[in-house]
Amino acid sequence: MTGPAREPAAGMAPGLPAEAYAAALAGLPAMGHRRLVAALRRWSPEEAWRHVVGGRADEDPGLADLWCSAAAEVDVDGLWRRHLHAGAGLLWFGSSGYPGVLADDHQPPGVLFHRGDPSALAGRRVGIVGTRQCTRYGREMAHELGRDLAASGVRVVSGLAAGVDGAAHAGALAAGAAPPIAVVGSGVDVVYPRRNSQLWADVAEAGLLLSEAPLGAAPEAWRFPVRNRVIAALSEVVVVVESHARGGSKYTVEAAADRSRTVMAVPGSVRSPASAYTNALLADGCAPARDATDILVALGLSTAGPGPAPADSRPAPGPVEAGVLGALGWEPASLEGVVLRCGLTPGETMVALSHLQRDGWATTRHGWWERCAHG
Amino acid sequence: MLATIPSATLLGVEGRQVAVEVHVSSGLPGFTLVGHPDPVCREARDRVRAALLSSGLPWPMKRVTVNLAPGMLRKVGPGLDLPIAVGLLVATGQLEPEAVAGCAFLGELGLDGSLRRVPGIVPLVGALEARAVVVPMECVAEAAVVGRVRVRAAGRLSELVSCLRGHDPWPDPPPPPTVDGPPPPPRPDLADVRGQPVGRVALEISAAGGHHLLLSGPPGAGKTMLARRLPGLLPPLEGDDALAATTIRSAAGQALPPAGLVVDPPFRAPHHGASAVALIGGGTAWMRPGEISQAHLGVLFLDEMAEFPRMVLDALRQPLEEGVVRVSRARASVTFPARFLLVGATNPCPCGEAGPEGRCRCTDGARNRYHQRLSGPLLDRFDLRVVVARPDVADLLGGAAGESTAVVAARVAAARERARSRGVACNAQLPASVLDQVAPLAPSALAVLEHQLRVGALSGRGLHRVRRVARTIADLAGAGTLIDEHHVCLALGLRADVVPVEVAA
Repeated sequence: MTGPAREPAAGMAPGLPAEAYAAALAGLPAMGHRRLVAALRRWSPEEAWRHVVGGRADEDPGLADLWCSAAAEVDVDGLWRRHLHAGAGLLWFGSSGYPGVLADDHQPPGVLFHRGDPSALAGRRVGIVGTRQCTRYGREMAHELGRDLAASGVRVVSGLAAGVDGAAHAGALAAGAAPPIAVVGSGVDVVYPRRNSQLWADVAEAGLLLSEAPLGAAPEAWRFPVRNRVIAALSEVVVVVESHARGGSKYTVEAAADRSRTVMAVPGSVRSPASAYTNALLADGCAPARDATDILVALGLSTAGPGPAPADSRPAPGPVEAGVLGALGWEPASLEGVVLRCGLTPGETMVALSHLQRDGWATTRHGWWERCAHG
Repeated sequence: MLATIPSATLLGVEGRQVAVEVHVSSGLPGFTLVGHPDPVCREARDRVRAALLSSGLPWPMKRVTVNLAPGMLRKVGPGLDLPIAVGLLVATGQLEPEAVAGCAFLGELGLDGSLRRVPGIVPLVGALEARAVVVPMECVAEAAVVGRVRVRAAGRLSELVSCLRGHDPWPDPPPPPTVDGPPPPPRPDLADVRGQPVGRVALEISAAGGHHLLLSGPPGAGKTMLARRLPGLLPPLEGDDALAATTIRSAAGQALPPAGLVVDPPFRAPHHGASAVALIGGGTAWMRPGEISQAHLGVLFLDEMAEFPRMVLDALRQPLEEGVVRVSRARASVTFPARFLLVGATNPCPCGEAGPEGRCRCTDGARNRYHQRLSGPLLDRFDLRVVVARPDVADLLGGAAGESTAVVAARVAAARERARSRGVACNAQLPASVLDQVAPLAPSALAVLEHQLRVGALSGRGLHRVRRVARTIADLAGAGTLIDEHHVCLALGLRADVVPVEVAA
């Protein structure tokens, strides 16, 4: 106890839901998930807030004082109205809607802010993660896995980042079946990266958007490894599509291993730096995820898979075009690389490439040519 | 007594006639210089006085007024020292007026009476109306480039006076400077480039059609190596072009080749620290031609283009469009010629490794900032945008040598000849209105372009640019008037959006 007992803060109006106090607690400085869970194990959110306001929330007087003075600035009622306005809800540790798989975790989040329907969590869940700087191959694989898993009724859990994460979610949305689940590093109202804003809205609409960070929290670098443990905890199987040797997927894989979750990796070219970590995982004994069936088998679901892929509707390439397509291979190549490999003049190569591009066999981006897996 | 001596001063890259009027009268001894001289020109008084005394000529103990007409024109540099000294000698009766009649004078005086070279002799002599001109001995070859004016040389003021008095014959011009020191290094040859078939083709098309070229690739891919071989592919300058290039180089105060006339197309490669004035022209002391004017009729190579300040790069847009640059300052407004072939080289991102392999380790922000330096309108001016990848190891070590510069230059010259028959110097200058006439499209070529337009990969302006490049490709291949699918496809393939807005999405 430090100083005289204070009047309750203006925001302590009666009739506020417990979520409002949980949100206020989560916004306090130095309130990590461990402290928040410890407080919520002892008290209800409303009682915890009362202790905070009274300066009695922690044995450490410095911390209790810090929280006490920070809480004096907080208008709980206004804060909660901002959540309602943003369409954001909240699950707190101990509340009835709090996912059981997280409640049993050894590092559970104290609160989870959400947009969308929390009931989306009920069902089989697979995490699909990978690098933001993925290749076309990585993007296509993430999209296919997301699409086929969602079509088989599996919820795709990912981080909504650029690259692999976003592609997995886009694939899951394209299937229009099982709802996607996104765990993001910033506040649920702070879209990052900005170019994914439509994807955010679509995921929140069709599935569930979760975040440990309070509303308005910026995408600070430390939040992402912390977020990755939630992805690992929510997933029964974690699939790494593409990752550099020192990419952030490592944190997700370590968190998954801590929790005895199955980790699978998508094999990639041994020459591609974007597949360095996934190939290393395979070398360490991870199961390969060549397609959605591999993952469904790991989940113990039907091995029938999503059914045969639709027939290729693209017109067959001519003899010269087929030669150039073969020279192009499955890795991106500059025009120069293709010319050197196929032995034609630059002009002839470009004619063949432009035919392939027209018919959907190849595509060009920033001066690089890539082969398309499907039309 | 009054004497009037014709001379000239520089304004930008042009010479302007100046009449140096010297008036000597009785009165308190003194020397006044009027007529808008710049600080260097104003110091002529002390140089002239010392030079006269060193040459054994008396300094008049009279009132001397020197006027540089026209008064509105700012006179720059020390080139008026010699006409002032000669005018003084005439006005004081030490030289007969007939001895200098019809003769103009240019040159700086040393305190010992020697004559020193001044920058811009070619435009200065070109501006004169006099029958003959006296220039310092070192400038004879430069002055002779103009041809119209009789050039006399003098090494020292005392020699000049005795020649003018008729005591001595005019000295012979010095023999063309013998090659002392190592011979100039040979121009880089295209045969040194191993592999890189696309880079070579782009270089050839750029030289033949005058299409601006942007090379993008990781460090060590050979962007600079390719760019340095471009001037060798351009045909040598002739006639008025050679004189224009010589005039600019002279006005910039740079040494001319031993033969006098500049025939090799210039190659300028300013460092990315260059200021806008250094690139465009201008300056406070005198209106100096910038790098883009010094690259007139040649190649301006901007290495590490994204490292240039954006303001400097955007200043290039208007000259690229008009072929001249108008520099306006408080004191003067000057038009410099600036018709150059722009070659840019850039890394795809600050670390240089951005590409589909995902090797780039730059942050998104750093990469975006890097690309924002290259504005869309500037990138649009590059008809040829090529990704240069690191060459294969086998090509570097073994690999057959490619065609030499001489072979390719012959094709370029032939293609340029065909462009000239259409009334333009090169295909990049073809107006859009004549494209249908000089570059009609075969049905297959039309289909390719139609598809590109339909999917939004090509804009209306881009279409014209592709057609001009396709015309050049057809010219190089010796094809007929009709533009084939091959030509259009290659033109499209050499037009990559090399600078991505986002690399990984």
